[in-house]
Amino acid sequence: MATLPQLIEEDIQKLDETLREFLARTDATVALILDKGGFVITHQGAAGELDLVTLGALASGAFLASQTIAGLVNEKDFNHTALQGERASIFTTNVDEHCLLVVLAPAKTGIGVVKYFAGTMVSRLARQLAVARERDPEGGLDLSELNVADPQDFFRKKPV
Amino acid sequence: MAIINQATKELQVKIVYYGPAMGGKTTNLVQVHDHVQTAAGNKGKLVSLATSSDRTLFFDFLPIEAMTIKGFKTKFQLYTVPGQVIYNTTRQLVLRGVDGIVFVADSQYEKMPENVESFQNLVDNLNSLKINLAEIPYVLQYNKRDLPNAAPMEYLDFLLNNRDVQVPSFAGTAHKCEGVFESLNMITRMLLQKFINQSVPQYA
Repeated sequence: MATLPQLIEEDIQKLDETLREFLARTDATVALILDKGGFVITHQGAAGELDLVTLGALASGAFLASQTIAGLVNEKDFNHTALQGERASIFTTNVDEHCLLVVLAPAKTGIGVVKYFAGTMVSRLARQLAVARERDPEGGLDLSELNVADPQDFFRKKPV
Repeated sequence: MAIINQATKELQVKIVYYGPAMGGKTTNLVQVHDHVQTAAGNKGKLVSLATSSDRTLFFDFLPIEAMTIKGFKTKFQLYTVPGQVIYNTTRQLVLRGVDGIVFVADSQYEKMPENVESFQNLVDNLNSLKINLAEIPYVLQYNKRDLPNAAPMEYLDFLLNNRDVQVPSFAGTAHKCEGVFESLNMITRMLLQKFINQSVPQYA
């Protein structure tokens, strides 16, 4: 049922290390690994005030939409998409069945460079995710502290 | 599915508001956004990908943070789907990775066929993602209770909540924020209950 691997500290370190190496080679600004459901798993780079949560949700949705378009034109899939603006570009590519790599780069960094190095990095990311996926996925979050029968609201409405 | 990130101490959960067109899904998110009591920075921007006439084209999206459990921040991502029948492919995309559903039905008598069709469409779309409705927490919100032609709650339950296991249902008047927080809090409770009973993936 779960679509995601169980990642330990070592996995995250290796994923982050790969992202940092990628950023150094390409001069891209930020690189993110997303779950295709829209969650940000990890990121590296100078995100600053960038709203990564919203970026993740929109990038994931846009990429999945492009996959559907691929089906409409009888392509097996479009394994990457590139958006080019005057100041920034966004490159998105498949990592594996469940995850995406999204790269934000200044416009002066050519998409071709990003695409080239992403191609070499994606296989490393996918390999690490595969290693993680093969681990025992039994671990969970201990929510024993939480009394779900407690009538207290999780989300409260502001008093009028 | 939900993500537990041990590195950032976060639990991330995706809730999708589903239902027929013009039923009040976007209004639910707007009301949550406008009225939720949160600490600074715990509520993100409400993003709407809508047509020029404010009909949802792709989805609405609201990230919001609730309580901390054992040091873990609980982060919720609320999505709506476009209700119009023609946008079924989009609904399938938005459902990917869903953890819980709020089905927003329109209480007006003449909307019953659309409610039933939309609910069946939800079941079909979940099946296409290899998810059985019985496996996923969901609640029903019978919206537009303030309208004179609203059908009785019992009738809506008969049409939409007539399975082996009945799910919680709420009367709603979303534009007045009635039933909105009740529905959201119940689906949250059901989701966390589910996580207690089954493990979810972790990111360390």
